[in-house]
Amino acid sequence: MNISVKLPIRSMIAVAVAAAVLAGCASVPKNPAGSEQVRAKLTALQSDTSLANSAPVAMKDAEAAVIVAEMPQKDLALAAHRVYIANRKVDTARALAQTETAETERMSLVEIGEKARLDARTREADLAKSDALVARAENAEQKLIAGQARDSADVANQQAIELQRQLEILQARPTDRGLVLTLGDTLFATGKSELKSGATVNLDRLTTFLNEYPTRTASIEGYTDSMGSEEMNQSLSQRRADAVKGYLVGQGVSSTRLSSSGRGENSPVADNESATGRQQNRRVEVVISPLAPEGTN
Amino acid sequence: MNPHFKRASSTRRRFRIALPALLLFAVAAIAAPPIPTTNLQAAQQAIANAERVDASTHAGVDLGEARGKLAAAQRAVEDKKMVVAQQFADEARAGAELAAAKAGAVKALAVNEDIKRSTATLVDEMQRKSGVSR
Repeated sequence: MNISVKLPIRSMIAVAVAAAVLAGCASVPKNPAGSEQVRAKLTALQSDTSLANSAPVAMKDAEAAVIVAEMPQKDLALAAHRVYIANRKVDTARALAQTETAETERMSLVEIGEKARLDARTREADLAKSDALVARAENAEQKLIAGQARDSADVANQQAIELQRQLEILQARPTDRGLVLTLGDTLFATGKSELKSGATVNLDRLTTFLNEYPTRTASIEGYTDSMGSEEMNQSLSQRRADAVKGYLVGQGVSSTRLSSSGRGENSPVADNESATGRQQNRRVEVVISPLAPEGTN
Repeated sequence: MNPHFKRASSTRRRFRIALPALLLFAVAAIAAPPIPTTNLQAAQQAIANAERVDASTHAGVDLGEARGKLAAAQRAVEDKKMVVAQQFADEARAGAELAAAKAGAVKALAVNEDIKRSTATLVDEMQRKSGVSR
């Protein structure tokens, strides 16, 4: 009986103590001061897509520190300490994540920079190339002009050489009157003014020459020896000069470029006393004029 | 009763008194907190490390706060408040680590800005040059 009364009292005390303890527990603040703020800071960091996946170790450290800071704690100094540490850890995780993100971003920045540098170099090279092309084109043009000049010089030179050759063939000699070609008396029979057939080799060379140099004119002069009357010699020399002119015109040389005159027995080139001298005096001279005034080239 | 047994039981009784006393002593010895040498050293090292990465330039406020916490920890040691000393030391370390991390971030972002600027300058220059040549 005594015992049965005692027991409920003990259990009642136990219940009271338990209730007190529970009440004590309930009175401990669920979240230490500042723990909500640090949790919010961590959440913000974790939901920042540019940083959330960086610095995973520091992130985990921060998370653990926040969980510790959130634990109910009667010792307010300890609670504050934990919140302080959690704040430092979350800030550290953010800074480390920023560093890591920056380093990752740097790779692409360097790549972009390299590409820009390469583009710049390529463009510079292209510019240089096009400059070179322009320069080369100009150079080519100048060369072409120079070449043309040289070519025309060459042509002139060759022409001079050719003229020289032609004159040698004609056996013309330069005098103060011009180039003088002397055709001997073998062209004509004595006292006649018709050209002998087969004696026209020299005339044909003259034709070729005049056709080659169309700007030149020729003055054809007939001469005789002193045998016979002066009048007869004058007319004979005229007819012989005309015959030569006629032949040249027949070969296609324009008559406007040709003039003929009879000089009779004047201007002998040798002594009329000897047969050889008289033969030399019987002649037709063709004076080829220097370049005609209009042919200034 | 066996006198032997009686003697043994008396020594056991003596033990029963001595053992709790000894345990109490031991617990007291453990509970009297030692100087948090490891934590203090870690804090000092973290501050030195932060200084090495130019935190005094880039995160001066945080580094200064960490130095203050370390000084507080050392004062607490002198006051024999070892628990408080350990907390201050840990706060100093966390603060110094934050300062170092901030300095690293500032420098990393500055390098990126530098690269961006030089690339932009190059692109500008190129556009100007090609504009002139065109």
